[in-house]
Amino acid sequence: MAAVTLSKTAAASVIDLQDVSIGYGKDAPPVLVDVNLSVERGSFVAIVGPSGVGKSTLLRVVAGLHSARSGGVTIHQDQRPGHRPVGLVFQDSRLLPWRRVIRNVEFGLEGLPVSRDERRRRAEAALKLVRLDGYARRWPYELSGGQRQRIGIARAMAVDPDILLMDEPFGALDAITRHNLQDELRRIHQETGKTVLFVTHDLEEAVHLADRIIVLGGTPARVVRDVRNMAGRDGSVFRDQVEQLRSEIADNYSI
Amino acid sequence: MKTYNKIALSALGVIVFLLAWEAVARSGIVPARLLPSPSAVPAAFLTEFKSGTWQAMVLASLSHYLVGLSLGTFLGVSFGTAAALWGKWDAFQAWVVRMLRPIPAIAWIPFAIIWFGVSEGAASFLIALTVFWINYYASYAAVRGVDKDLIELGYAFGQGGLIPRLFKIILPGALPGILSGLRAGLGQGWMTVVAAELFGISGLGMRMMEASGLLATHIVVLYMVTIALLYGVSDFLFMQVQSRVLSWQR
Repeated sequence: MAAVTLSKTAAASVIDLQDVSIGYGKDAPPVLVDVNLSVERGSFVAIVGPSGVGKSTLLRVVAGLHSARSGGVTIHQDQRPGHRPVGLVFQDSRLLPWRRVIRNVEFGLEGLPVSRDERRRRAEAALKLVRLDGYARRWPYELSGGQRQRIGIARAMAVDPDILLMDEPFGALDAITRHNLQDELRRIHQETGKTVLFVTHDLEEAVHLADRIIVLGGTPARVVRDVRNMAGRDGSVFRDQVEQLRSEIADNYSI
Repeated sequence: MKTYNKIALSALGVIVFLLAWEAVARSGIVPARLLPSPSAVPAAFLTEFKSGTWQAMVLASLSHYLVGLSLGTFLGVSFGTAAALWGKWDAFQAWVVRMLRPIPAIAWIPFAIIWFGVSEGAASFLIALTVFWINYYASYAAVRGVDKDLIELGYAFGQGGLIPRLFKIILPGALPGILSGLRAGLGQGWMTVVAAELFGISGLGMRMMEASGLLATHIVVLYMVTIALLYGVSDFLFMQVQSRVLSWQR
């Protein structure tokens, strides 16, 4: 079983996966094999593929929540103090219902060598980043689904991670809220320059957001396409790109 | 139904109940010794209160109750939580628990007397025992029921160690369930107070026993009402605290 290695040496990539293979249980066949992937610092990488292909599991391996069966997972951690290597955003916002919004955002900062004032200051800045600075004293149950996801993003950004991991974060939202949050995420990515690894089953979403798209497919699944996304934000190019990608990977969607 | 109407109806129910009782007692269908009339209770209260007996009995029972309740609650929540957290410990104690659980508190009275004598300690011990089991099972189920996704969230954000996991996720998550165990223990505790004092430990139960020996049934009823009121007050106070503690719930 391979755990995540934290490397302190400077590198152009934030994470490196080498020949990673993932499975559940001892004797069950692997779900995902031969994954080789380097994510460049500052890039926005989307992982797409049909449901059940192991996208989320791959993300959980990078987050250290699941061990790879074999292969190496390296995160090149920056030297700055008081931050965590990864910040994870879940599909269900997963806020702690007994904590007010501000305390939810502070959650990941607890246990870091950060003073109480500094923690509060960073949580407030993260709330501002997701434009919910007026909501600090609310309880999670008072928020809408979209607001809850924003708080989830703020919580992950507050730990100033080397890489932001997002597991279908907008999958459970209605179409309009989803579009708003996609735009917000693009803005946040541009403002902060954070490296993002984003799992989705929605190809439009991937093309809309990412500058690189990794397609998983097959049984066991492997990386079947690795595309630099050239789509400008101009609508016609966008549509062409989606259509082209869709036809290219259609075969791999038959599981 | 409006709250006002509800309260009015409840009050009406109590009044009709008392009137019916009074009517049966006065009609002579049942001998007065067997069924005291409710109107005899205020007079009984005045005599008991003037002699200071009522206050002394309430204080004595209250002290047994509070000691037994806090001890039983603390141990019950601790053991229940521990069993839910650690599978090995759970397996180790599972059959001991199965053997001890069905024994009711009153069956322990002989041992309570042998170990503690006819003393305050014996009464508190029996109350603690009753309260222990209620809290043990409530906490066990509550801790088991904590959302696994929230525990995973803890690991994802560096709060996976035992102490942060326990105090930041498991216990707050289990709190609603643990509190409903506490509330059930609060009620069962008062019931055990009476049983525990029947064999001569000073308190409400003992006074009821004395009065029934003298066929002073109106005094028995007075102490029954007293227990009902004490229970009502403790449950009400607990609910006030609970709604504050759980204000994060919808």
